Amino acid sequence: MNHNTNLDKCVACSTCVVQCPVSEVTSKFIGPRMLGPASQRFRLLNDGEDNSLSYCTNCKNCDISCPHGVDISNINMLARAEYCREHRPSFRDWVLAHGELEAKLVRYLPTFLANMGQANPITKLLLSRLGISPKADLPKFAPKQFPAMFKAYKQPEGLTKKVVFYPGCFVKAYAPQVGMDFVWLMNKAGYYVECPDTFSCCGTPLYTNGFEEDARKNAAANLMEMAKWHNEGVPVMSLCPSCQLMFKEYPVYFPDLAETAGSTDIGDCMQFVIECIERGELDPASAAVQTPLDIIYHAPCHLRAQGIGLPGFDILRMLPGVNAVNADAGCCGISGSYGFKKEKYDIAMAVGSKLFETIKDSGIELVSTECGTCKVQIMHGTGKSVAHPLSILRQRLEGSN
Amino acid sequence: MNRKTDIVVVGSGIAGMTAALTAAQSGKKVTLLTHGVGSLAISSGSIDVLGYVNGKAVADPFAAMADLPENHPYRLVGEADVRASLDWLKELCGKAGMAMQAGEGNQQLVTVMGTLKPSWLTPLSFHAEAIEDVLRVAVVSVEDMKDVHPGLIIDQLQRYPALAKKEFVKAILPNPIQQAHRNVTPLDIARFVERPEGLQWLKDSLAPYAKLYPVLLLPPILGMKHSQKIWEQLCSALNVKIVEMVSIPPGVAGLRLREVMKKALNEAGVYLVENTEVVRSEVEQGACKALTTVATGGENRWEADSFIIATGGLLGGGIGTAPGKAWETIFGLPLDMPENTEEWSSPSIFGDSLFARMGVKVNEALKPVDAEGSVILNNVRFAGRILGGYDFATEKSGHGVALATGWHAGTLAGKE
Ligand SMILES: Cc1cc2nc3c(=O)[nH]c(=O)nc-3n(C[C@H](O)[C@H](O)[C@H](O)COP(=O)(O)OP(=O)(O)OC[C@H]3O[C@@H](n4cnc5c(N)ncnc54)[C@H](O)[C@@H]3O)c2cc1C
Repeated sequence: MNHNTNLDKCVACSTCVVQCPVSEVTSKFIGPRMLGPASQRFRLLNDGEDNSLSYCTNCKNCDISCPHGVDISNINMLARAEYCREHRPSFRDWVLAHGELEAKLVRYLPTFLANMGQANPITKLLLSRLGISPKADLPKFAPKQFPAMFKAYKQPEGLTKKVVFYPGCFVKAYAPQVGMDFVWLMNKAGYYVECPDTFSCCGTPLYTNGFEEDARKNAAANLMEMAKWHNEGVPVMSLCPSCQLMFKEYPVYFPDLAETAGSTDIGDCMQFVIECIERGELDPASAAVQTPLDIIYHAPCHLRAQGIGLPGFDILRMLPGVNAVNADAGCCGISGSYGFKKEKYDIAMAVGSKLFETIKDSGIELVSTECGTCKVQIMHGTGKSVAHPLSILRQRLEGSN
Repeated sequence: MNRKTDIVVVGSGIAGMTAALTAAQSGKKVTLLTHGVGSLAISSGSIDVLGYVNGKAVADPFAAMADLPENHPYRLVGEADVRASLDWLKELCGKAGMAMQAGEGNQQLVTVMGTLKPSWLTPLSFHAEAIEDVLRVAVVSVEDMKDVHPGLIIDQLQRYPALAKKEFVKAILPNPIQQAHRNVTPLDIARFVERPEGLQWLKDSLAPYAKLYPVLLLPPILGMKHSQKIWEQLCSALNVKIVEMVSIPPGVAGLRLREVMKKALNEAGVYLVENTEVVRSEVEQGACKALTTVATGGENRWEADSFIIATGGLLGGGIGTAPGKAWETIFGLPLDMPENTEEWSSPSIFGDSLFARMGVKVNEALKPVDAEGSVILNNVRFAGRILGGYDFATEKSGHGVALATGWHAGTLAGKE
């Protein structure tokens, strides 16, 4: 192993075990302490791999809970990458990992064709054969993807300040409107938005599904593009917590790349919006819409893991008329593509059940969260509508939409 | 990023959560910064107040407080506030459907090691007095539960004169969890029992023993959120007295309590920032201006009018050590320890070790003071295991000190 994880800081106190949402719902998973620091000692002796390696969802609640700062989930992910070097992952995992490529392929198809997996029983059967749960609701491709929408959009002239937006796959293929809402907000705050084509998938689905080399290529391209902007002093930011986290973890997974790239930190769009509000560039108090609105907010695990608090929730709480409560009910269970897998679907739903109940019991109709796949899972588990905090911000500020 | 608030609390163990909650209940805006969840999550969740002073068992912790050294946290906080903090927790837990109750004096809880352990405020299901009045007791465990051995428990318990004559029996319930890929812990079973099918399983499996034994000793497996209801239901349906034993980690009841407190934090509007470590402070003229955290990636700055530091001890990360030195990790306050590290610990494992009582020296307002007793930081308070002058393990005062000092710090800061 070429990396430096701090497994010897683990004193086996079992805090991560009691906080692991997967261990909570299934005994098929050996648990974070055993799979992470404990097994790592045996891995160092080349002593085989535990057969529940694929059950870790990489949700990072173990890292969040550890009193000693052991990066347990990274130990697991590095072990998975190592394992997959010798044991090729399944075709199903390839399909789930390469969503970006698939989105590129379908972009010229009419939406009903691109999305035929949703309703068509034959496609469902095929997916099921492949190992994708027929019960899962896969996200639907948007009629027009973000890059095309962005190119067609004319930003106001005379904007002197600039930010770079890293959209990520979910915004690109499934939720382009959220990206456009961010562009609108930035323009309103006085920023011109750049969105370079060279940015590719952050690599999270590739890495966690065992396609280390593909993830590395993406990381290299992303870091090169980001360094260019950093050198010019232009901030680069994303609104997807999992993409952000992946950037911040490039040094763990690809230390050599990170070393040459300088900082791998990518900014958080919500945090940047708050800074705009603090500078007076945006003013939630003067929102066009101030009618009462109840919102229940879900904090994605990958946002909680970043240690920056909940800027998206803060934005909602600044809006006049909005009553935003934090569901505070743990992981939604989906963990990227984990919950779509046939053998994992029930586990993911069981993990999310506390959140689903909390949302249903609240009686609130509108859910808000930053993460695209959390949104898919919450809609699947509750039937409620789910909006990104920035989309809600735009609607309240703009009014007419 | 720079954020401002009224009060910043660091650490989400029982001390930090209590401080944050009490401060928020006085109407302050509170931010809670933490990089781990604290030892409450794995503990047994019973609030020990004071079990031993100078190695002698105490019957009434409040009476015994007078025998503690002057700089002991209880002496600084005062008996009235210790009691007030316990009442506060009782009310919080009662409202959440997990009643906590004290006994006449210290209660003796049964542990899964077969020992009796003094504690003060505990969930109803841990109260063990029922054993006194009966002859026959069943000690229950679950197949594959590696940490709970009825044989060992019985052998140990029978060494206590008062229990030597009891008729104990071992009861091993079949493991209800199929396809287990790991050892079964009390927490696994507790989570199973929280579900209707799990409760039914437990009721059916205990029924044969309940007919013969009026008291059943169980690992802490009576559910999670609904533990009290489950306990009441089982006791009345089976017509027995069920007693949960205190377990080694995961202690289950600590997690139950943590979840109650965490929910209260959210409802009180405390802003929780997880997975972030406070690494630096900015101090000007004896007052803290801001704390700096590092998270995955960059740094953030948190400004406040006052600060409460509840970062725990060696286990929580609040105390740093190197040969011959120890210090508080956020402000770098030096802790008074001998240069010769050999002197830090006692040759006897259960002896009185200096390292166990090392911590920050504070005044009655829990503000840090120097050797002469002058306040070093006038808007910073310390609470919980980070405080010096007590040894929770030998005194059996862990959660008690953390709760009382957290309550005291949060209430005082809330009034400012
Ligand atoms: C296994 C075990 C079982 C126990 N059982 C019992 C029991 O049944 N009854 C009882 O009364 N006592 C018990 N105790 C003792 C009791 O748990 C502790 O004395 C008490 O909980 C200490 O609480 P605390 O909040 O002060 O510290 P901790 O619980 O240690 O919390 C400290 C918090 O601060 C965080 N932190 C530290 N440094 C930083 C930093 N720089 N930045 C951000 N965050 C930071 C930590 O991550 C943690 O969240 C037990 C202890 C252990 C270890």
